[in-house]
Amino acid sequence: MERRAWRTLASLVAAALLAGAVAGCAPKQEPEEGGGAQKEPYRIGVVVSLTGTYAGLGIPEKQAMEMERDRINSEGGVNGHPIELIFEDDATDPAKAAAATTKLIEQDGVLAIIGATGTAQTMAMRSEIQRAGVPQVSMAGGSVITAQFDPLVFQTPWPNRIVVPFILKTMAKKGYKKIAVISDTGGFGKDGHDIIVKEAPAAGISVVADETFNPGDTDVSSQLTKIRAADPDAVLMWNAGKEAALVVKGMRQLGMKQPLFGSHGNARKEFIEGAGSAAEGFVFPAGKILVPEAYGAGTESYRVATSFIDAYTKKYGTPPDTFAGHAYDAFLIVVDALKRVEGDVTPEKLRNAIEQTKGLVGVGGTFTYSPTDHNGLTESELVLYRIENGAWVLDEQ
Amino acid sequence: MSTADLLQFVASGLQNGAIYALMALGFTLVFASTGVINFAQGEFFMLGGMLVAAEVAAGVPLGLAVAGAVAATAAVGALIERFALRPARASGALTLIIITIGCSMLLKSAARHLFGPDERAVPAFSEGEPVAVAGAMVQRQVLWVVGLTLLAAVALTVLYRWTKLGLAMRACSVSHDAARIVGIDTARVVMASFALAGALGALAGAVVAPVTQTAYDVGARMGLKGFAAAVLGGLGDPVGAIVGGVVLGLLESGAVAFVSGTYKDAVALVVLLLVLVLRPQGIVGRHLGEKL
Repeated sequence: MERRAWRTLASLVAAALLAGAVAGCAPKQEPEEGGGAQKEPYRIGVVVSLTGTYAGLGIPEKQAMEMERDRINSEGGVNGHPIELIFEDDATDPAKAAAATTKLIEQDGVLAIIGATGTAQTMAMRSEIQRAGVPQVSMAGGSVITAQFDPLVFQTPWPNRIVVPFILKTMAKKGYKKIAVISDTGGFGKDGHDIIVKEAPAAGISVVADETFNPGDTDVSSQLTKIRAADPDAVLMWNAGKEAALVVKGMRQLGMKQPLFGSHGNARKEFIEGAGSAAEGFVFPAGKILVPEAYGAGTESYRVATSFIDAYTKKYGTPPDTFAGHAYDAFLIVVDALKRVEGDVTPEKLRNAIEQTKGLVGVGGTFTYSPTDHNGLTESELVLYRIENGAWVLDEQ
Repeated sequence: MSTADLLQFVASGLQNGAIYALMALGFTLVFASTGVINFAQGEFFMLGGMLVAAEVAAGVPLGLAVAGAVAATAAVGALIERFALRPARASGALTLIIITIGCSMLLKSAARHLFGPDERAVPAFSEGEPVAVAGAMVQRQVLWVVGLTLLAAVALTVLYRWTKLGLAMRACSVSHDAARIVGIDTARVVMASFALAGALGALAGAVVAPVTQTAYDVGARMGLKGFAAAVLGGLGDPVGAIVGGVVLGLLESGAVAFVSGTYKDAVALVVLLLVLVLRPQGIVGRHLGEKL
């Protein structure tokens, strides 16, 4: 009797699931936000990490794009066409990012793809992007994305190959000629590490200790002990994960007095919370979004950035971080290009329009793409921050 | 290399080793009473840290938060045993192990939805500057890590040697059938070992969180380390778990000191493989032969 009831229940559940699946396959309804526009929507695919390691980056990215989509659609869309964003979660998994790309191209027929959140995921999408000839705007910071040049692939953040020389020059200017490097073995850390080792001689800096740790390590004091023995003038750390707090706390533990410099991957509130008072005096480079005065009051950049920051803060209750800024820029670049396409929009025409982006003021900087430069940013978009009383302040440049 | 540096490497090894030992104890307790490797052990570690972080954020005093997190995770361990594993009891170890993998995914996803994707900070148990111990500088929290591990090891030894529950657990590790014949409620013993494994994992996660911060996804990696430590010492042997944990911690720190941080995990795993080839029962283990 009991078993029979179970079986009935199980078949009911199965039937319900099946019904749901069938409904899910039904043709997509028109997007609800019309904003008065009657024309076909422009479909843009978005691949972000909403789960997994990079979820803390991917979620603000999605929020920033949703907010901008709603704003543009309520203003009548682009050339009368509303924008439809189709979000796919890659779960911080390169294989899933590639599969999501196929789905967006084949099933949804998108004009362009924004994504992914991470460097490895962005690179995994490339063969699908090339096969279909759809333009891609990545929000990941790995140098490899635009260094391994592809006419279809664009990038919004400052890659390590721009940030590393900037911070090395800063360190040399402050008089630190003998530095120790500590980096993680993940994609971002390794990419940065290799550029540091290559660029240091040009900045007049010698690397006297070179240590690594793995993402997820619970202690880095062994590595720091070796660095202490090498007696550097300063320490440069390159990573984006929570282990950054271990490094600053470990240096304090070992009584190391050297100044510590970091990367733009450390521009996260969670780092300050995790490191506590040990983070005081930590110096790192990042875009101007953290302290908008850096844009220079009255400039176009300042106006664009503050209106984004205000709208985001009002809608989500917290100010946007640099990652939300990269997503805003990616969306802005695509929308700006859509406006400039003449006639019916095709992925090819859209790609050409993106490549002609010129002097476009975003949050991360002013973008000018060319047939040889698909990053479009320069060192001048970066400023130096210092952590003081648990907050970011501008360091003397 | 100076003596001070050498001592620093040893201190770092002991700090990590203590955490690995707590994790290994969790694996070993469950294995001894069921013959199952509990792959949800790493998630117990994660729950310990995340629950403390959430409780502290909600205004619970730190000591109470740690106790609460350990108790809650012990309950999660018991519930997993009762509702996920016991119904499948008859279907053999492999099925049960796969069920624990499923539970681990479930706990991880649940934690992500409950606590969000970002890392969380936990305040140190006692504030203050680092202290010098035998020439090595250590953070105060590390004294808590090592001290609580020792306390847990002593408490577990007492439980195992001198209490009725401990006797029943040891009996179950020899033979479930024989234990039942002499009147031991084996189901209760298995449940208790899962609860204990949950408590140990949560303790490890809670006590190390002030040093490392914690996040919903820290479990898998720590589970792997704890498992390696348990195998290294000899699965099913509590003393072996502690020895295995400390040896693994020292090996990793030695690998950083004399090879490179990049190969830290690789060096530790190569030694693990060597031990398994030369002494399949682990460093301390004796009676594994017939169990496999």
